[in-house]
Amino acid sequence: MKKIYIGAETIISPLGEDVRKNFAAIRDNRSGITLISNAGFNDDAVYLAKFLTVTPTFASLIAATLNLVSDQLDPTIVSSGKTILIVSSTKGALDQDISDQFGKSMTVITEQFGLKNQPIVISNACISGVLAINAARNFIDAGLYDHAVVVGCDLISDFVVYGFQSLFAISDKPCTPFDTLRNGITMGEGCGAVVVSNTASIFNNSPLGLLPGTTANDANHISGPSRTGEGLYRTVKKTMEINNLVADDFDFISAHGTATVFNDEMESIAFDRLGLNHVPLNSLKGYFGHTLGAAGVIETAASMQMMRENLLVKSLGFEEQGTTKELNIIKKNTTADLNTILKTASGFGGGNASLVIAKR
Amino acid sequence: MSRITAYCHLNEEYCSVNGAILAERDKESHDSWFKQLYKEQEFAYPKFHKMDALSQAGFIASELIKRANPKIVNGYADDEIALLFGNRFSSADTDSRFRTSYTENGAPSPALFVYTLPNIVLGEIAILNKWYGENMFVVLPKFAPEFFVNYTEILISTGSKAVFCGWLDITADRTNVFVFLVESEAEEGIDCNVPNLREYSGI
Amino acid sequence: MDNLKEDLKKQIIEQLNLEEVQVADIGDDDLLFSTDGLGLDSIDALELIVLLEKFHGIQVTNPDEGKEAFLSINTLSDYIHKRKG
Repeated sequence: MKKIYIGAETIISPLGEDVRKNFAAIRDNRSGITLISNAGFNDDAVYLAKFLTVTPTFASLIAATLNLVSDQLDPTIVSSGKTILIVSSTKGALDQDISDQFGKSMTVITEQFGLKNQPIVISNACISGVLAINAARNFIDAGLYDHAVVVGCDLISDFVVYGFQSLFAISDKPCTPFDTLRNGITMGEGCGAVVVSNTASIFNNSPLGLLPGTTANDANHISGPSRTGEGLYRTVKKTMEINNLVADDFDFISAHGTATVFNDEMESIAFDRLGLNHVPLNSLKGYFGHTLGAAGVIETAASMQMMRENLLVKSLGFEEQGTTKELNIIKKNTTADLNTILKTASGFGGGNASLVIAKR
Repeated sequence: MSRITAYCHLNEEYCSVNGAILAERDKESHDSWFKQLYKEQEFAYPKFHKMDALSQAGFIASELIKRANPKIVNGYADDEIALLFGNRFSSADTDSRFRTSYTENGAPSPALFVYTLPNIVLGEIAILNKWYGENMFVVLPKFAPEFFVNYTEILISTGSKAVFCGWLDITADRTNVFVFLVESEAEEGIDCNVPNLREYSGI
Repeated sequence: MDNLKEDLKKQIIEQLNLEEVQVADIGDDDLLFSTDGLGLDSIDALELIVLLEKFHGIQVTNPDEGKEAFLSINTLSDYIHKRKG
């Protein structure tokens, strides 16, 4: 199997305008979630992880992120003919133009950064980020590109807030993934990026290793998870098999953990079926909220920082087990050797995705 | 060699499978074009009526391809058929309808909201067929044969044995759908390469 | 009383996009969420909540309230009367 690297992890979110500021916040167990007045359909106040001072546009947020990424790489990489930009997002620039959510932004970004290949937008609900990182690896492994910049970006809008309210899916307090009193999601916004490459030397800071990942569909319901966690079970099982990994090989799981009653229960069932109950696990959504299309990338970036610092970060919001199957939820920051980690995501449309990052 | 073993075109005028016209739109009908097809082709799947346009198109095209290629129904394990779809405008049409539900019709509609993601069509196809395989929905400025050829090869080299591919160009004023089936071990069919895809798609 | 039940059936067919269903097909006691009845699902339940607000001015703040109320046209009609006092 070819060695493929992942590095230059970047985050711009309400917790900070670069990855170190974001990591400092999560290390301090600080949340980006605040109560925003008049945010709901009935002008009700809603807990959101929102940019408080200025809300960037979709394109400007991606551009700011790409600038930070560029600073962490050999300067020729972003505009190289052997580089592909993959953007993962659910609603793109919907607030600016509902009829063209991605086209104009991709044109602007392509021009601004002199991209040589047409960016690919992956819009696959909440698994988009993990799927995009896997797709990046697949492209490079197939020899189609040498490098891929994967950017996950989504912004909060009335559209999505009202939508999730109509599903009664929004929590009336900051979300508490896996906790017994959890009652819904907290929406978030932000932009995360990682660079995937077959060349370690393009990175200013030593990269980590990215192993092959997979996706699997639940084949059950378009907006509710399978009660047996079938899709999540299958993707993680496939990912473990192709990498010859067993449950004991994992030092940490960055789960999806949206804090809805059904999602977290489903994850506990799937992880239990896989024998992963004892692996230290968290959801990062207590810090970032649910950033939809950006989640897979933001949370992977944060997990990479955890690996570099050998720090298991507390699963913010969790106090008491709230799932039928027991999981090893991280209750406070703990130092640990983090050599091999699993990241999972599940989403509307029945999608489930998983990836593995390992220290070289 | 991967081969395209069946394909379906669906536009404002007609629906064709493997190049042969199956049905032409009755412009006088009160029914939407997709509903007309659903009735005429005698599908029996009441959930169809809750679907948005993208999902209805994906349903019709994939079902017609299955009818043209019945062997695929039992010929693969439940995770060996991948779904790889794309378009230019994501779920914009459905998104506008959802927005109207709360700006003009009094309250955000949950039944519309759950379709405001372009990948839901993949979920609908997976649910109907109980397919647990790989899925991906991409947004590109135009139909890109290179992308589909490359990514179907990637999917096939990583464990899928067949890929349902689709380009669902559906907006308020246009319908141009092209769905095709690629099988990795087909003995007959059209070689899955860029010139062929360009030609047979007609896009 | 009967008008409400008939209205409810029409509203449900319209709001929930039940294409192949006529008012006459829905019995007052039919189990709306059973596959032997109308076969409604969890999203339909949420649309019923929208329907109650839109057509009857009743706000349901907790979807669990719906579980009992939405069993059939009869229980739905009783619920509306109860809420309207």
